[in-house]
Amino acid sequence: MNMRALTDGAREGTAIAVPSTPVPPAVTLPPRRRGKPRGKPRVSLLGLAMLAPSLLLLCAFFFAPAIFTGVFAFTNMSTSTGIGKGDWMVTPVLLRQLRDAGLSEADEQAISAATYVVDAEHVARAEAGGVDARFLSDIESRLAGETYDNARDFERDLRDLPSKPRSARALKGAADHFASSVLNRRYATEAAFAAALSTVAPGLAPETLSLVTERAYTGAVFTVENFVTLATRRDTLRIVGNTFLYVGLTLGFNVAIGLFLALSTFYLPKRVGSVFSALWLLPRITPVVLYATLWQWFTWENGFIYILADTLGLPTYNYMKAGVTSAWTIMILSNGFVGASFGMILFSGALRAIPVQQLWASEVDGASRLQQIRRIILPQLRWPVLFVTAYQTLSLLSSYELIWLTTDGGPGTTTTVWALDAFKTALWAYSGEFKYGLGAAMALILVVVGLTLSIAYLILFKFDDLVSRPKIEF
Amino acid sequence: MQLTLDKFTKSFGDTEVIADMDLTVRDGEMLALLGPSGCGKSTTLFAIAGIHRVSGGRILFGDRDVSDLPSQKRNVGVVFQNYALYPHMSVAENIAFPLEVAGQDRATIKREVQAIAELVHIEKLLNRKPAELSGGQQQRVALARAIVRKPAVLLLDEPLANLDAKLRLEMRSEIRRIQQETGITAILVTHDQVEAMSMCDRVAIMNEGEILQIDSPTEMYRAPVSRFVAGFLGNPPITFVEGVTDGRGDVDLSGLKLPLPARLEALPAGRAVTLGIRPEHFGVARGLPVPGVVRFVEPQGRETLFDVALDNGAVLRSIQPVRQDLSVGDAVRFNLDTEAMLVFAETGARL
Repeated sequence: MNMRALTDGAREGTAIAVPSTPVPPAVTLPPRRRGKPRGKPRVSLLGLAMLAPSLLLLCAFFFAPAIFTGVFAFTNMSTSTGIGKGDWMVTPVLLRQLRDAGLSEADEQAISAATYVVDAEHVARAEAGGVDARFLSDIESRLAGETYDNARDFERDLRDLPSKPRSARALKGAADHFASSVLNRRYATEAAFAAALSTVAPGLAPETLSLVTERAYTGAVFTVENFVTLATRRDTLRIVGNTFLYVGLTLGFNVAIGLFLALSTFYLPKRVGSVFSALWLLPRITPVVLYATLWQWFTWENGFIYILADTLGLPTYNYMKAGVTSAWTIMILSNGFVGASFGMILFSGALRAIPVQQLWASEVDGASRLQQIRRIILPQLRWPVLFVTAYQTLSLLSSYELIWLTTDGGPGTTTTVWALDAFKTALWAYSGEFKYGLGAAMALILVVVGLTLSIAYLILFKFDDLVSRPKIEF
Repeated sequence: MQLTLDKFTKSFGDTEVIADMDLTVRDGEMLALLGPSGCGKSTTLFAIAGIHRVSGGRILFGDRDVSDLPSQKRNVGVVFQNYALYPHMSVAENIAFPLEVAGQDRATIKREVQAIAELVHIEKLLNRKPAELSGGQQQRVALARAIVRKPAVLLLDEPLANLDAKLRLEMRSEIRRIQQETGITAILVTHDQVEAMSMCDRVAIMNEGEILQIDSPTEMYRAPVSRFVAGFLGNPPITFVEGVTDGRGDVDLSGLKLPLPARLEALPAGRAVTLGIRPEHFGVARGLPVPGVVRFVEPQGRETLFDVALDNGAVLRSIQPVRQDLSVGDAVRFNLDTEAMLVFAETGARL
């Protein structure tokens, strides 16, 4: 995706680089009429109509997700906040956090205190709660308008009523219906919450009130907290390191093996060469789950390597999951084999485009096979190597599914790469708490890194030189 | 350096392309391998370069047998038809390449490249890439690269085929000049008889994997060994007419009798022969007048070409200094120089 966006941009760039200069009209001649002004792009509605489907798809499947990711990255959205609008609620947990953040004990008690009010609203609530009707009418007639700031006083007054229930529990239960506390109550609007809070704790200072209100919001809020977390988290450095190592090694493996295969099939007899290259295509055309399963059979307990090692008297264990070095080796190889054929195909095509006379000429000039490869062939493979490197860097940076299916980032987090961590953070948490915001932040960083890398590649390899001028002038 | 092919044989799979070819190119000589496409001339060239393996026989550079040496060790220079310049290298780098892989030091390389560039007149183009050069300039670079290592043999594979007519004329003399200045033994492969004759000391005419004749261009034109050679050389080409000898010094061309050249008057009767008549021998000042009708007039500037139909229907071609007194349909009597006629036996060999 990034690549496509970039190449499109570059193409526009070249178009701009060849401006058609308008010819200044000769002064002595009367101005001639021209059918169309030169140098202006002609926009046809039909063209736009033809483009519309792809533009729509591009918007729906690329721009929209990218924009969403960018927005979510700056929120604390998670399973607990939900993706919709939140409510305002004070929980005992929040109070504890607020205490840690410096809330005074008096304020905490004031917020958590319950008041008992006998009014129409609470009576209705009690009625709905199944309180005895006679008892309720007694309460309504005798205690209407009363307010108590603790349960004991209210219950004492209730006990004085003639139609009080016999059991103490039923009485407490009835009393609870008249309780008015902000604790564990959801308020749909901020104003309602603030009003309720001021009622139960009128002595709160305005800044304390606004702090509690802000913290009490259960929905997602905009914050840069995710990036702070990522910057300060201890895991970050390890995962970044893992990612660099993984991308670097796999890419090196891909390009080196791809080049080696392309060159050897180039020098091999044609038929042998085609069989050889077809074999290397297998990892790419095998469905990823099946491919991962094959690797599991190959490396797990009682798998091929396990039995082989057992026979040879070497240590036997689950090579994929139990050893750091072996897990890394398997991660690089399994990913590398998939990518090798990609390089091989591109390089083979580029090789075949070199006229055979050039190879003859270099041999006649005295170049050995190695010199021929290094001095004549490889320089002419610069563009395909750049392309494979750039493309594979970007796809490796964002690929996690094969790692997820094989080592699963283990043992521990030793083979966890950034993309896998982002995926797990956002969508695959074992605890069931998906941190969408944090995951999106990780994905956003990945996108930024990818874009930066592609631009760096293009500058490094002088992209302008590689893109030939358009054959047709517009 | 003298180059010798001794019973050189080349087959591709089961197909034998060239069998037991013997050829000697003298030191400092430029020899043309001339023949129609598919006659094996490029195959021979590539075998000499070491690009193709030798199937049988020997290839000698001087006294050294190079038959089994790879092309890297033969020290030959090759100019390919498409020049085969390395597109990613500048002109200077292209020319320097053979010296660099030979491990020469920087100063020597720089000096040699400069000297060669001056020889082929490209010293101003050294920093350009091949794509920024014209066809003729690319040709010069390819030539410079081929000779910078002072090769034992310079091999040119259809070097002028990709150039336009004017450049071709220019490069023809340029290549010859450079070859003569360097004194390198050279082989030119071409299907163009004009190139072969104008550039080379000797011409070897090939057909179907065989060398038919090796001679200087003049000698070959004057005395071709066979009908094939006679037909290949000459522009406009020679005209052939079939006939039968009557034993009295004439050839019966069914309805028309032409006398044989004096040296062949003794040919017995009844032999089928082919007369080869070059256009410049018909319509000359003195000779046997032959009546005919002008069928076609082709003005060529300095000369005019006439197609003349004889009484028996045969068409002879005549090339003469420009004249405008004749037009199509005119009856003419052109003189035929019968002594200059070439006579070929049924086998194609010249009598």
